[in-house]
Amino acid sequence: MPETVRERTGARRRSRRLEQSVAPLAAGVELVVEKDRVELRAAERTDGPVGQLKALLREELAGLDAARRTEIVSDLASSPLLEELGSLELSSSLYEVREVLRERLPACAVEARQPVGLAVEQVLAVDQRSFWVSGWMHDEDGAGEVTFVSPEGARVAVTDGAFRLDRPDVVQFYAGLQGDRTQEHGFTALIELPAPSLLASGWIAELRTSQGTAVEIRCPDPVVDPQEVRAKILAELGSRGPVGGELAARHGRHALTRLQERIVGESEVDSIDLYGEQPTAPAISIVIPLYKRLDFIEHQLLQFSTDPDFAEVELIYVLDSVEQKEELAKTAGELFALYRLPFKVVNLTAGAGFAGANKHGIEAAEAKLLLLLNSDVVPDRPGWLATMRAFYESQENVGALGAKLLYEDGSLQHAGLYFHRGVGGELWENAHCFKGLHRDFPAANVSRVVPAVTAACMLVDRERYDEVGGLPLHYVQGDYEDSELCLRLLAAGYENWYLDTAELYHLEGQSYVAEARRVPSEYNMWLHSEIWGERIETLMAEFDPFEDPTAA
Amino acid sequence: MSDLRVLYVVHNHPTLHPGGAEAYSLELYEAMREQPGVEPILMARIGSNVARRRVAHPGTPFMSVNGDPNQHFIFTETDHFDFFTLTSRDKSLYSRHLTDFLLAQRPDVVHLQHTHFIGLDLLSQIRRVLPEAAIVYTLHEFLPICHHHGQMVRTFGDELCPEASPRRCNECFPELSPQSFFLRERFVKGHFANVDRFLAPSAQLMDKYLRWGIAPERIEVEEYGRLTPSRRAPDPRQTKSPTNIGFFGQLSHFKGAEVMMEAMAQLDPEAEAHLWLHGANLDLQTEEFQEEFAQLREQLRGRVTFRGPYEHHELPNLMADLHWVLIPSIWWENSPLVIQEAFFHRRPIITSDVGGMAEKVRDGVDGLHFRVGDPYSLARTIEQATANPRLWRSLRDGIRDPYPMDAHVSRLMDLYGELLEQREEVAVNA
Repeated sequence: MPETVRERTGARRRSRRLEQSVAPLAAGVELVVEKDRVELRAAERTDGPVGQLKALLREELAGLDAARRTEIVSDLASSPLLEELGSLELSSSLYEVREVLRERLPACAVEARQPVGLAVEQVLAVDQRSFWVSGWMHDEDGAGEVTFVSPEGARVAVTDGAFRLDRPDVVQFYAGLQGDRTQEHGFTALIELPAPSLLASGWIAELRTSQGTAVEIRCPDPVVDPQEVRAKILAELGSRGPVGGELAARHGRHALTRLQERIVGESEVDSIDLYGEQPTAPAISIVIPLYKRLDFIEHQLLQFSTDPDFAEVELIYVLDSVEQKEELAKTAGELFALYRLPFKVVNLTAGAGFAGANKHGIEAAEAKLLLLLNSDVVPDRPGWLATMRAFYESQENVGALGAKLLYEDGSLQHAGLYFHRGVGGELWENAHCFKGLHRDFPAANVSRVVPAVTAACMLVDRERYDEVGGLPLHYVQGDYEDSELCLRLLAAGYENWYLDTAELYHLEGQSYVAEARRVPSEYNMWLHSEIWGERIETLMAEFDPFEDPTAA
Repeated sequence: MSDLRVLYVVHNHPTLHPGGAEAYSLELYEAMREQPGVEPILMARIGSNVARRRVAHPGTPFMSVNGDPNQHFIFTETDHFDFFTLTSRDKSLYSRHLTDFLLAQRPDVVHLQHTHFIGLDLLSQIRRVLPEAAIVYTLHEFLPICHHHGQMVRTFGDELCPEASPRRCNECFPELSPQSFFLRERFVKGHFANVDRFLAPSAQLMDKYLRWGIAPERIEVEEYGRLTPSRRAPDPRQTKSPTNIGFFGQLSHFKGAEVMMEAMAQLDPEAEAHLWLHGANLDLQTEEFQEEFAQLREQLRGRVTFRGPYEHHELPNLMADLHWVLIPSIWWENSPLVIQEAFFHRRPIITSDVGGMAEKVRDGVDGLHFRVGDPYSLARTIEQATANPRLWRSLRDGIRDPYPMDAHVSRLMDLYGELLEQREEVAVNA
């Protein structure tokens, strides 16, 4: 185009050198500087002389004004090549580029006499592009803006989108100063980078106030271990009363959902060990996740092996506590030699959690009917599986079918699942019908349609299971997956049933530390209500958990 | 017509820890189970102070008891119970769990034996959830009236207390204001307003509740009924010198442990009398008490034999060589079950001259009274009793059989029916 040509020509006239300069950045990538354009480019040959990059930066870019340099650094860190290559070398080079070109602001010294203060308390890598940051800021009037700069140079302003909170400690620290007293000084945000950041350190935060002061600080290095990140985010969500509200809705949910995907995604099937001759066309696939307690297997195999219905069953154990792989292999071999009941063991590369482990097990399953079973469930007597199957096949339109589950003392653990809202509470909690009453309680001795059933023992058609997407992965540490699955089945037009004639014991753990589970449980309950609250409201308006079908 | 569903609520279960009211409650439940047209349900509290291990299922306080479909434990945290207002600080126990239980069980009658560790809020919650249910409450001591362990004994000098008031209660507990005692009484009475009928196992207990403000038409005397034990203890092998005296129950201050030991120490050295202690819960008493008791025991080696705790079924054997049963309590008592047991086995009773003891044991007819809390008086009574075989025989012959369970059940059935009619009328008029 004439105009461009004219510009180019002009440029060339001004300086031949500026026409195009190139320097290698990393394997397969080079930095290209061409007049106003500075960009990364895929390159085949990147074996330029050492020092070429520094020379290029110094000669071509260092002289530009601060705003332009900042813009260039930020643009480079947004290049799609970062995503494509995932190269640590490239990230390191971009860090060097950032360090040469960026405008260095005065370091922020937090002092009680000086109103401008900034602190970043944690940076958590949710994944390579999203980071959970929290800290506080203080300035003359509360109108300052905080910007995070990734090691590669990407810039994200957090002030507008952040969750703000009171920080009485900050207010007290600056008590001697006039000025900003009212605003919420704390901030927490899930920030999104335009491209992945791979470096273990080098984060910077800047504060620019409305009065023209600008300062920067170095941030703590990001925490990258997903379990640790999840624990820290949960701790923050739970640190100010029950989980919920804006922090959970605008930041927590996205962060934790992505973390769950990351945790499950990092777990793959490592191997499948077969014990005995597997049934060729099984009627039912039973999927049992194993976590820590391997001793339950023997109790199950003993009971299953005396039940003739297991001839047509594909039995799949999924080991979620992967560190026990060798121990399980040894135990499984010995147990098969005794009980002769064929089964398979799915080994994973990393722990996937309850829903994730089920997912891997179900992917390995071949039958048309799926039975999700917990490892701490043992049948009361043979015949339960045929009873469940016959019922499932005799009724039209069954989604999930649940059984009568008992505690060791014969009290009911599960006779169908419903939703309960505490006094003055807005959130729905899962509750089990007639829990704690005796197994012969008349109202629990009738099969009926219920809102949901527990996945501790749940029979479901494979196609229907897949149709609704199966057990969701977004809950933390196993909770509410089963009720969401049931709600999805309901939404797809199926009915969930409780069957009283299939009786099993569910030796539900009593030893977990309640406090350690408090925040994850609260989060799960909040998320479940956030997604399904309206539907549950309608559902519970019609369901009476205490209905006695035996009453005249 | 469907069966009458009667829910019995009690603060403990004999399978956990022995106790009179709990033993009676279980017997009543079992007797009701034999009654045609009645389906009794028992809810017994379990918790850290009565069970060795803290066992509760996640998500519910309920557990079944020994495989009986109609017996339930309810687990409550001992720490959650407020001993002053006699209710639980954990309100979800009522709003959630007990509500669920009531809705699932739908009793026609709730007969509360004891609400300790479960809490008075239950009374109001029953009324809210089941407006038509009849509520019966058996009073076993004076906890609703008296903060001093429900004994109505002053905290200073063991003086028996005839009445509670904010002023008098504050004298006993200077750290608790008269205002807080006023609120306590209002609170208890507020929940008590939901009760259709109170049962007092003794007239003296009823009198104190009447004076406290329960309307006469809402309370009546109804003695504990007892199942007839399978066998009666034989007469003692020798009755020429009725020297053997037995004590059964908790060895505690209020049960008169020091009074009886002191009396044994004061006996005429010539007197032939021996005291056999069948006592439990010594370990639960204060260290000071235990020390003093151990000292007295040592001192009284030839006079007193400590035989430790006993099981209910052992009573005929333990009574076999006893002539007398001693009940030296320094508080009013209600209607001590030991009286019924002693009378069933035809043993006259030596007892304090106050409260339920004086009411149930007739001085000179089926037992002997001594001045409450007075070791001197007890020592003289024991000397007189053990030296006098004719007196012993005449008192033994004066004993009447205790109130039988079937008569008690039949009275309760009438009462339940009457109250249900009343509630129906209330519902119709409402």
